[in-house]
Amino acid sequence: MGKVIVITSGKGGVGKTTTTANLGTGLAAAGKKVCLVDTDIGLRNLDVVLGLENRIVYDLLDVVEGKCRLRQALIKDKQFGENLVLLPAAQTREKDAVSPEQMLKLMEQLRRVYDFVLLDSPAGIEHGFKNAIAGADAAIVVTTPEISAVRDADRIIGLLEAAELYDPKLIINRVRPEMVRKGDMMSIDDIDDILAISILGVIPDDQDIIVSTNKGETVVLDKRSRPGQAYRNIVRRMLGDEVPFLDLQGRKMLHWFKRILSGEAQ
Amino acid sequence: MNGELCTIKGTRDGLVINIADVSQFSEVLSSLERQLLASQSFFRGSSAKVYLHKGVLTESYLDQIEELIADYGMRLNREPPQLSMTRPPVDPMEEETPEVVEDTTLLVRRTIRSGQRLHYDGNVVIMGDVNPGAEVVCTGDILVLGALRGVAHAGAEGKVDATVFAFRLEPTQLRIAHVISRAPDEKSPRPSGPEIARVVANSVQLSMYSH
Repeated sequence: MGKVIVITSGKGGVGKTTTTANLGTGLAAAGKKVCLVDTDIGLRNLDVVLGLENRIVYDLLDVVEGKCRLRQALIKDKQFGENLVLLPAAQTREKDAVSPEQMLKLMEQLRRVYDFVLLDSPAGIEHGFKNAIAGADAAIVVTTPEISAVRDADRIIGLLEAAELYDPKLIINRVRPEMVRKGDMMSIDDIDDILAISILGVIPDDQDIIVSTNKGETVVLDKRSRPGQAYRNIVRRMLGDEVPFLDLQGRKMLHWFKRILSGEAQ
Repeated sequence: MNGELCTIKGTRDGLVINIADVSQFSEVLSSLERQLLASQSFFRGSSAKVYLHKGVLTESYLDQIEELIADYGMRLNREPPQLSMTRPPVDPMEEETPEVVEDTTLLVRRTIRSGQRLHYDGNVVIMGDVNPGAEVVCTGDILVLGALRGVAHAGAEGKVDATVFAFRLEPTQLRIAHVISRAPDEKSPRPSGPEIARVVANSVQLSMYSH
């Protein structure tokens, strides 16, 4: 039986979709069978980030409404084929077209086949969020070092607990070490102080992400990418390895930079 | 009515037969009969409604009551009585017990997060934090064994001597009874130890906690 993990944030634009795409790709690269589910009905993105938009024929709604078989709606990844599939969201419908009960049923089907089912949750705490968490047995909360994002993450953690999804893990995205050092950005400690849940990973802010996202690629397999390294570490932690956190603030970072520049990263 | 399972009362809604508990129905009937006997023909020609305090009044119960009171020249009105017109028969023991105002305390063993609101009639002890965006309101004191960063309202029903205590007292807003205070707009260095807030001269005053 596979694990169903919802990736959520409350606030929009903090990197849920990018995180889902990268973790899914990373897990597939580690030899796991992975299904990514876009639950953001009406505002789907995951297909675009993965570069699979042009292959969509059926979507999640067609599956729950019985218009097609589940297998028909699953889109195989360009690189990993059967081992990384996407169940896209419907684009032309409203979020309340799906019910939490239907999602629960769908997840039960998927977890029988896949090792990991990653659900990309929509922003907000309304119907779409409730759908996304309905079939999940674990949650990853994504935030950025901004007060508004952390506040919303806190709200989400409370709602997850209320839905009996205990012990959510935190990913802090778009951290800019130099700003933290100057005191212009919330530090990891500041965030940890408020949210007080275990941190799964810290992703440094990097232009790579924007470039790769626009190209429909993920950074997780790019050995030269800093966020890619951070995502790879998260994947290893998800698989049960103990991986030390990237030192984003100390001298090691500089060292790391130099290694990247000299082309010998990793 | 003392001790009776059933009373007959004249209300603005007409005559009402009050039944305390239908589970001992045969006793209810005998009690009713006793009272009708005692009243002689006082209720003759009137109609009565039935009001039940506990249990479910079935048709068969109503039929039996109807049969009984018909012997005394009364009719049964099966419409439910208007509740405001009747007062439940009160156990005399209960009536004599003075109301005890208990100082209850709620122990919360988790963090109160943004969007969550805790309301309690009494004191509240939180083993965790109160995060920004969360709200704790109670009629007594508030103790936070952690950081208080949200909104806290102690003595919400006017208890001016209520206090708010926290290991780290950094609330967005602090209210005690009718007095409201908020954090200064400028970040000021706060003492790192436990603090307590109380109302002094109509304003909320924070001080280091010492006993």
